[in-house]
Amino acid sequence: MTDRPEGPSDGPEELAFEEVSIAYRGRPAVRSVSLTVRPGEVVALAGPNGSGKSTLIRAAVGLAEGSRGLVRVGGYDVRRASPVERARRIAWMPQEEPLGDNVPLADYVEFGRYAWIPRWTPPSPSDRAAVQRAIAEVDLAALAHRGIAELSGGERQRARLARALAQDTPVLLLDEPTAHLDIGHQLEVLERIRSFAHRERRSVLIALHDLNMAARFTDRIAVLSHGRLVALGAPAEVLSSELMETVWGVVAEIRRDPASGLPFLLPRLPHARAEGRPTPLGRPRVHLLAGGGSGAPLMRALFDRGYEVSVGVVPLFDSDTELAQELGLPVVAELPFAPIGAEALERLDRSLEAAAAVVVAPFPVGPTNLANLERLRSWVGRRPIALVEQPPGTRWDYADGRATEVREELLRNGATRVADLGAAVEWVGRVALSAPDQ
Amino acid sequence: MGLLLALLLVAIGLSALIGSEWIPVPAVFAILLREISGGLLGTPCAALAPTSRECTIWTEIVWSGRMPSVLVAVFAGAALAVSGGTLQGVFRNPLADPFLLGLSSGAAMGASLLLTFQIAVAHQAVLLPVFAFGGALVPGLIIYAAAHRTRRSPETLVLTGVALSALFSAMLATFLFYNPSASVQLSFWLLGNLQGETWTRAGILGGVVVAGATLIALSGQELNVLQLGPEVAESVGVEAARHTRRLILLSTIITAVAVAFTGVIGFVGLVSPHVIRRLVGPDYRRVLPVSALFGALFLLFAWDLAQRIIPPVPVPVGIPTSFVGAPFFLYLLYRRRPAER
Repeated sequence: MTDRPEGPSDGPEELAFEEVSIAYRGRPAVRSVSLTVRPGEVVALAGPNGSGKSTLIRAAVGLAEGSRGLVRVGGYDVRRASPVERARRIAWMPQEEPLGDNVPLADYVEFGRYAWIPRWTPPSPSDRAAVQRAIAEVDLAALAHRGIAELSGGERQRARLARALAQDTPVLLLDEPTAHLDIGHQLEVLERIRSFAHRERRSVLIALHDLNMAARFTDRIAVLSHGRLVALGAPAEVLSSELMETVWGVVAEIRRDPASGLPFLLPRLPHARAEGRPTPLGRPRVHLLAGGGSGAPLMRALFDRGYEVSVGVVPLFDSDTELAQELGLPVVAELPFAPIGAEALERLDRSLEAAAAVVVAPFPVGPTNLANLERLRSWVGRRPIALVEQPPGTRWDYADGRATEVREELLRNGATRVADLGAAVEWVGRVALSAPDQ
Repeated sequence: MGLLLALLLVAIGLSALIGSEWIPVPAVFAILLREISGGLLGTPCAALAPTSRECTIWTEIVWSGRMPSVLVAVFAGAALAVSGGTLQGVFRNPLADPFLLGLSSGAAMGASLLLTFQIAVAHQAVLLPVFAFGGALVPGLIIYAAAHRTRRSPETLVLTGVALSALFSAMLATFLFYNPSASVQLSFWLLGNLQGETWTRAGILGGVVVAGATLIALSGQELNVLQLGPEVAESVGVEAARHTRRLILLSTIITAVAVAFTGVIGFVGLVSPHVIRRLVGPDYRRVLPVSALFGALFLLFAWDLAQRIIPPVPVPVGIPTSFVGAPFFLYLLYRRRPAER
């Protein structure tokens, strides 16, 4: 029989991976990863599917065969340990597991006490207390006697977390603990994990797909790519557009939440890579003339495809302006109801200069914004320009026909007429990607 | 549990009344009381029977004829129920059962080797369980490997058992043709036989079953945790592989010994744990001992029934158990388990 010392769990201990390499079916899944999780610290393990996150975590529970290197908790070599000794130091919440029998929640959480309860004896008061604490920690005390199979998916997820917490270990390994949880419970569970780790000085490693959650709730982020640790540090240091692109192959923008200073990600559609990628100078820029909401769908479509988009001149507080600001795009704006001033036109020129293509959304033109179209006269021929058809039967020229006049002139001089949003996007794809470097 | 135990003791007493010969009820109880107490209690024989010769015969029938069979039924029923419950737990498969997985027919095949070829006739009581265990080990290992390698559907495991059973039945049938003189004995065996038991056999069976079932029941909490899969079990401290091997081995042993003395009796191991789970919940620390009592009762009733179907000759005891068990199996098969997986 295995020995089972009494007494409380060990004090705070760090979890360290030292040069850990794991081969899975003969192929390297984790390559020489060194990573230390300190007591009182929550580290997120991030990386695309198949990057080795779960494999690394499983190595710490002794489930990864063919692993080399050292995994230790404090001064203790995890893989030399018996299951009982390991279970007193490391608790693991796997991503998926069989449901098992429909046992009452309290009994289920008590399974986490297995390593502490001597065989053939009932749980001691301290075991029962640990079970109750764990259940309270995930806010399921009211359901303690409910059968595990009768819980909702989210409740079951929290019950599994409680089982891991009941192990009362210095190290916690959580593999996607918020999968199956709605956003409210995601926030709640992660906040509980974080405050628990900080308060009780536990070393917590969480595999998380959601990088915004990782940035919000973890102290450091470790990024795995093809089994290698490619980045490690505070979320603000680690998360960058370059990292997103090299590791996940996703074009994304990193913003900073003004209130908390935390970084957050704004990903674009994956096909951004194919369409919007481009010239050595970066993604082609497209300038959009819009206003009154006419440009919003186009702006979104181009943005999602990975183009650099600039917008203007648009009135402040216009819905197009607001969307552009929301997406973090450069905007040339003018006061509402005022004619476009000289300074704004100058900035428009600079924007057009930088653009590989120009798209004119079907916006209503009046005396205040006619200058937009007029400005294009000097650019037709120098930049590819597309005019999206005005919807038939709607009045758009509020400038006594002058807008129509300018439009016709642009078309005569080489601007392209495109039927609708789809055609405009297609045109941009054709033109901008073949355009010579600016 | 206390209730079931009391019920079992009463049933043992009542079962002593049943047999081809009618013996008055008071006489049976007096004989039991006297024999159990070693002659200290109970009425003297002369007061019970018309003649003292009659008395000796009655005592012989009740104590040496009926009681061993009754006890073999009790121990075999307990063994099959515990084995069934354990296999259901280890394989996390509600359809597992020593009969359906082929353990029983493997054991029967092993034991029949001994009978067909008349090996060491003098030591059969001891060697029979050993040969049965050897035979049961074959399907035991195959099933262990099959379930271990990848997670398969519950039906796959049972179908593997069906294939193995067919194989062993074919081997048994071959033995029958090889040695027709053993065929009566063997053919009874195929459906379970409790006739002609002796105290030696009941003693061997009882000893092995009580020891084996106790060892299994002591792993109740491990079996509970193993329901979460071997990996989670390891992570909370259970040596999953070791316990799994140990539990399968012990189940194989008690099944083999039961089969060695009773032949192939189906469905006791399937039905008992399911009924008991309904009553006491899923905790194996309670399911296993209570199932043992239930299995004992189940097989005892089946034996009583078997003796009354076509009196005075008892039919094989596997017949009544199959009449109950086979429909139950179909019920389990077609009841989709919404809560499970």
